[in-house]
Amino acid sequence: MPETTTAPSTAPDAAPTARRTLRLGVAGPVGTGKSSLIATLCRELSGELAMAVVTNDIYTDEDARFLRSAGVLDAERIRAVETGACPHTAIRDDITANLDAVEDLEAEFAPLDLVLVESGGDNLTATFSPALIDAQIFCLDVAGGGDVARKGGPGIGRADVLVVNKADLAPYVGVDVERMVADASAARDGRPVLAVARTDAASVARLCDWVRGVLTAHRSGAHVPQDPGPMAPHGHGPGAGHGHGHGHAS
Amino acid sequence: MTDDTGALGALLLADARLPTGGHAHSATLEGATAAGLTADRVGEYVRARLATTARTEAAAAVLALRAAGAAPAGAPIDYGPVQAAVAARTPSRPLREASAGLGRGLARLARRIAPDAPAVAALDTAAAATPGLRPLRPVVLGALGAVLGLTEGQTARAVLYDDAQTVTAAALKLHPGDPLTAVRWVLDAAPDIEESVRRATAVRGPRDLPAGSAPLIDAWAGAHAHATRRLFVA
Repeated sequence: MPETTTAPSTAPDAAPTARRTLRLGVAGPVGTGKSSLIATLCRELSGELAMAVVTNDIYTDEDARFLRSAGVLDAERIRAVETGACPHTAIRDDITANLDAVEDLEAEFAPLDLVLVESGGDNLTATFSPALIDAQIFCLDVAGGGDVARKGGPGIGRADVLVVNKADLAPYVGVDVERMVADASAARDGRPVLAVARTDAASVARLCDWVRGVLTAHRSGAHVPQDPGPMAPHGHGPGAGHGHGHGHAS
Repeated sequence: MTDDTGALGALLLADARLPTGGHAHSATLEGATAAGLTADRVGEYVRARLATTARTEAAAAVLALRAAGAAPAGAPIDYGPVQAAVAARTPSRPLREASAGLGRGLARLARRIAPDAPAVAALDTAAAATPGLRPLRPVVLGALGAVLGLTEGQTARAVLYDDAQTVTAAALKLHPGDPLTAVRWVLDAAPDIEESVRRATAVRGPRDLPAGSAPLIDAWAGAHAHATRRLFVA
């Protein structure tokens, strides 16, 4: 067990203040390629940015072990947190374990530029609390079906960027990537959507550029963390589309 | 902070929805389960903890609450003796670290709700006597109890109830079973909880803190710390 109980002399538990480190969450359903996406970001960006990773799993350390074995970042910069079998709680309702891990990494490897927090693969409704991260990627993949983007959800609708991953597999699973991206863009009111395949260097470069842009905006104070929220605008049958952030009255 | 927060504070501290990290803990039930503890013995496990480790924690929280209230106005509050006493009575390193982790989450809450309260400010020096260890859970709970205006009985009961519910909530993840049965385990433990409340509030000082260790729990916690595929921290 890592020694995580030493108290730094300063008070890291105070309310958030301006930080040089960008805390970037990666959420999305199980199996859409979040760990692979993070490995790609580490491989591409760790030469220019000081980075660390926190993983959340149903079973503690599967993703952390995958990332360590990928050799894309020093093993001690990759930390796994237990979520008590509630990965959605650990990134939104009670972020204690993740905040502790992020603060520890930022203290131990200061100065860090980028901390990636990978959610435990959950469902379409799980998003990060803005108290934990500054910006979030929501990750879908073509193999999950071309219609998922149309189904919506807070992450799909309002994450800072939506990644449609494994775009190179589209021909094999009968999905039209351009159509999926167009559907997603329509659901997101113009917020960015990136089709990504780790084997497609141009798509990886676009993703890295997006991360650099958010980091720059974060440091300049131009970026304000947005909460995708618990509910997305959604419809109840033809012509009944509406958006609201509360429960149903009827 | 108003003066009339004691009853509400007791409910808050006992609520599993309090966002201080407790949901990722099993009170070593995961380690016990890996060692063969079966679902039909979870009730016994709850009561065994209430008579040993949880009673020590409850008494330590009472002592911390007292330390926060005992200092004359303007004099520094010193949690050091309680911190040292409870650390010394927690022989398992993983359990000390788990307690320090839970204390860290509670301290984050305390600093947010009452950053200027002397009982909270004193947490900065609480761990001076235990290098490498943050303030332990009962110490911070006592500080929070002082801020919220809890009685000694409320503070002790919050610790004991939380311990029992941590086990039963984890049991629902680790064992097949009916969630309503888990409520029965807690209700059945009511006499054990009240007995430990009496013992905890009767503690005279840090040197008098009961050393309610449970060697099997320590061993299970030690093995759990090295297990892969964990659901819970400890």
